[in-house]
Amino acid sequence: MTVVDTPPPALPVRDKRATRALSPMLTRLAEERATGVLIREHGTLHLAEGRVVHAESPLAPGLDVLLTAHGTLAGAAWRRAAVRTPGPLHAAELLLHSGVLPTGALELCHLDALYDAGYFALAPSSTPGRFRYDNTPRLGPLPSVPVVALERETLRRRLLLHRLWSDPAADSTPLIRADPAGPAGAAPVTPRQRAVLDRVDGVRTATDIARDLGRQAFHTLVDIRRLAAAGHVMPVPPAPAPPPPAHQVTTDPDIALLKRLRDALEAL
Amino acid sequence: MPGIDECLLEAMRLPGARGAALVDWTSGLALGTVGDAPGGDHETTAAEAAELARMAAEHGTFAARGDELPPVEDLIVSNGDSYHLLRFVDTSFDSSVFLHLWLGREEGNLALARIRLGEMAARLVLG
Repeated sequence: MTVVDTPPPALPVRDKRATRALSPMLTRLAEERATGVLIREHGTLHLAEGRVVHAESPLAPGLDVLLTAHGTLAGAAWRRAAVRTPGPLHAAELLLHSGVLPTGALELCHLDALYDAGYFALAPSSTPGRFRYDNTPRLGPLPSVPVVALERETLRRRLLLHRLWSDPAADSTPLIRADPAGPAGAAPVTPRQRAVLDRVDGVRTATDIARDLGRQAFHTLVDIRRLAAAGHVMPVPPAPAPPPPAHQVTTDPDIALLKRLRDALEAL
Repeated sequence: MPGIDECLLEAMRLPGARGAALVDWTSGLALGTVGDAPGGDHETTAAEAAELARMAAEHGTFAARGDELPPVEDLIVSNGDSYHLLRFVDTSFDSSVFLHLWLGREEGNLALARIRLGEMAARLVLG
């Protein structure tokens, strides 16, 4: 019997030589041990003394979703903590103090949510980030992460997705099942991928599926890229573009130059 | 109730323990590390151990029969001078993590470590 199978790509290891920061502004804030909230296009990072204590993104399910989706915590218990506190991180700390959740479970879920939202918050953006100095974030009992660790992990995750399937279109657009399904010899669909595949309906995006499953968005992207590589799912094709005018005049500004300018301004 | 660091430090008290980590097998991220890593780098170790764990966790061959049981409990790799014990952590929320314990072969007691690591994994998420 000869079964020839392409081995899956190896998980990337962080590149120690990579010194390019994802956000020059963030690097500066870490150096000055700033405390406050960095608002970027796809998410926010809460910094205390230059360390990331909390991250949120509309593209990633929050700690509340991860904890309540599978009954780890009753929805009512989260809401009770949330109304008594200024934000999700403080709500989580309140839950820690009250002992309704095991410390390890809460720390683990908190770190999962932080790296997950942080990945999206640090995604390339088309608008400059804004930082608001604010004394609300503080180093509390839940683990915090150095800025450089979050940046390196985010770069490593980008590389991992790229190696699985290089087209990022499936990350953000509604998904459909490929018809016909992938080739017979493609990698079998795992139980976790099956749960994702069952929710692909032409309307839901990866974020919707992650929220529906109470699963980290990045983990969902990994499964979707694997499913796309195996020919099981694809992004909904965009509507055909209108035909270009006969005499197209190029008035586009130099986007690359503008981006460099923005980065330079951010770094000031 | 132990947190991640306390759990890893407890694992390090096992005879022969060289290093321990809590690793996410989907991303390859080490969420916590203590002690030494083979080759001196916990990040590389986490990424490589995550590959192995994912293969075992996701492929039906190694799964327990019955939907109520976690697919795989642990993985054991032995070599000429050490053991690697990977214990999957069964959380009530959706996650994909395991405890990785690296044990010296001379001093380590694999049977004892397997039992203790299972208890630690349970206490970490169940209190």
